[in-house]
Amino acid sequence: MSGVKVRNLRFSYGERVVFENLSFEVEEGEILTVLGPNGSGKTTLIKCLNRLLRPTGTVFIDSFEVTRLNEKEFAKLVGYVPQAHSPAFPYRVVDVVLSGRTPHLGFSMPTKDDYELAYEVLDKLGLSNLANKPYTQLSGGELRLVLIARALIQQPRILLLDEPTSHLDLKNKIVVLKVLKEIAKDGIAVVMSEHDPNLASIFSDKVLLMCKGGIVGYGDVRDVLTAENLKRVYGVDVKIFENNGRRYVFPDIL
Amino acid sequence: MSVEFIHVFRKILDSQKYRFGFILLPLLMFLVYLSLGKYAISPSEIPSIFLEDTIEHTIIFNVRLPRAIEAMLFGACMGISGAALQTVLRNPLVSPYILGISSGAAFGAALSIALLGAGYIFLIQPSAILFALIAIAITMSLSKFRGQFLPTSLVLAGIVVSALFSGLLSLIQILVEPEKTQTIVAWIIGRLYTVTWRDVTTSAPLAIVGILGLLIFRWRIFALSMGDEEAKSLGINVGRERMLIILFASIATASVVSVTGIIGWVCLISPHITRFLVGSDPKVLLPASISVGASFMLAADLLSRTVWTFEIPVGIITTLIGAPMFLYLMRRAAHEWG
Repeated sequence: MSGVKVRNLRFSYGERVVFENLSFEVEEGEILTVLGPNGSGKTTLIKCLNRLLRPTGTVFIDSFEVTRLNEKEFAKLVGYVPQAHSPAFPYRVVDVVLSGRTPHLGFSMPTKDDYELAYEVLDKLGLSNLANKPYTQLSGGELRLVLIARALIQQPRILLLDEPTSHLDLKNKIVVLKVLKEIAKDGIAVVMSEHDPNLASIFSDKVLLMCKGGIVGYGDVRDVLTAENLKRVYGVDVKIFENNGRRYVFPDIL
Repeated sequence: MSVEFIHVFRKILDSQKYRFGFILLPLLMFLVYLSLGKYAISPSEIPSIFLEDTIEHTIIFNVRLPRAIEAMLFGACMGISGAALQTVLRNPLVSPYILGISSGAAFGAALSIALLGAGYIFLIQPSAILFALIAIAITMSLSKFRGQFLPTSLVLAGIVVSALFSGLLSLIQILVEPEKTQTIVAWIIGRLYTVTWRDVTTSAPLAIVGILGLLIFRWRIFALSMGDEEAKSLGINVGRERMLIILFASIATASVVSVTGIIGWVCLISPHITRFLVGSDPKVLLPASISVGASFMLAADLLSRTVWTFEIPVGIITTLIGAPMFLYLMRRAAHEWG
């Protein structure tokens, strides 16, 4: 298969088990959204998939077992967009994007082709006019897109994003998620974490619902985002509405 | 200077043609350096002087040339090491000196003078290099907490190690005979007037190894400045490559400091001047900081030998120019970031 296949993943911080017996699959072209309250382990899962943490169990990307890959090979398969990025120096946007070429460059400098690729990706994400701007002067939404551009230029098979919509306004949330939808269409498997069940419902093919201590549900949006599951995970009564075959969740607080 | 001016200036530097400026600048400074001094020699005479056995030949060839080369080596090593360390550790205030290199080298030199006396002058330099590298090694090992390396703790460890070696240095100065104390003090104050060809040939190989190492790593140095997790996601073995980069920077700086003594501020100011000129362009910053460092040192040492009736140690000049300049550039940078 092509995409990500996770089998029996388990991770614990010392005694505290974050998740165990976790298995799921994301085919290329699909978006899997990880939902769950703060502290439920969404970021931990993303970091496990990215090898920043060492879980037990197996992760396959395309047909590669990831622990067998070295750093460079792994970085050619997996792109990562962190939740927060703190700039150290006011690099130009195009340079930040080009840093995504590092696994392909080794010890050489980026060539004309790399620059062309960078401008192409920037153009695709509607950032061309920012290419020469210091990236310290960007808005939150622009910075997020630049980090996505950097991951894209790695030409990965899967893209991992840790809360790509956090701290963004409604419009920018939609911009980022639409971009991710496009990226998936180009044949990349996307795994992201998200807080808003409605955005997850609109933009993802599959969801993984987590709560403290384990996995509550995995699969199709309509099977997982049920009133019972959400009550169990968030402790909030919700009403579910359907419109155009989509599922919408509202807190039942009035 | 207005922000617009700087942007126009950078655009000019951006075009390939003007990049030559970074090659021409130190070469021009080099010629000026060779010709000016108590005994002025016209630059046009310099080529013929190399061939003739005259007084000018002696002045240029035995006095000014090795000194100029050492000044350039020193500036180049300090410029690129400062730029590389600031980038890798994501901190514009870091310099090789902060990590303990200078106090380690000073202690090494003092120890050699104290134990062996001035008769074994040729051992001062190896001893200085050795202890500079020991100091860095201690700093690096102290900066690991629970197997994890933290850039901030590296700086803190560097300050601790510097303090430790400074303390030991003071102890030596108190314990030894007054004449030796004088030799030690004279060594520590950064200077270039003692430089001979032998100094150049002993410091150049290691200096070049360090510089080339950093140049080869320059794109990865940039990627490391994205932060540990992101650098790892870009395919970098963060722990190992950062160690290597710190090691190259240490070798480069230790090799020149062991000859010149402690010349301050060059390692801090050169990267900032370079950033002022070219921005943070990851392809250009490191090579350009070599050029800026070398030119800055030539200018500073030229001042040190011409500005007064007797020589002022160049370390005093670099501090007097460097400190206020640093203040200006930091304010400038803060303005640009805001």
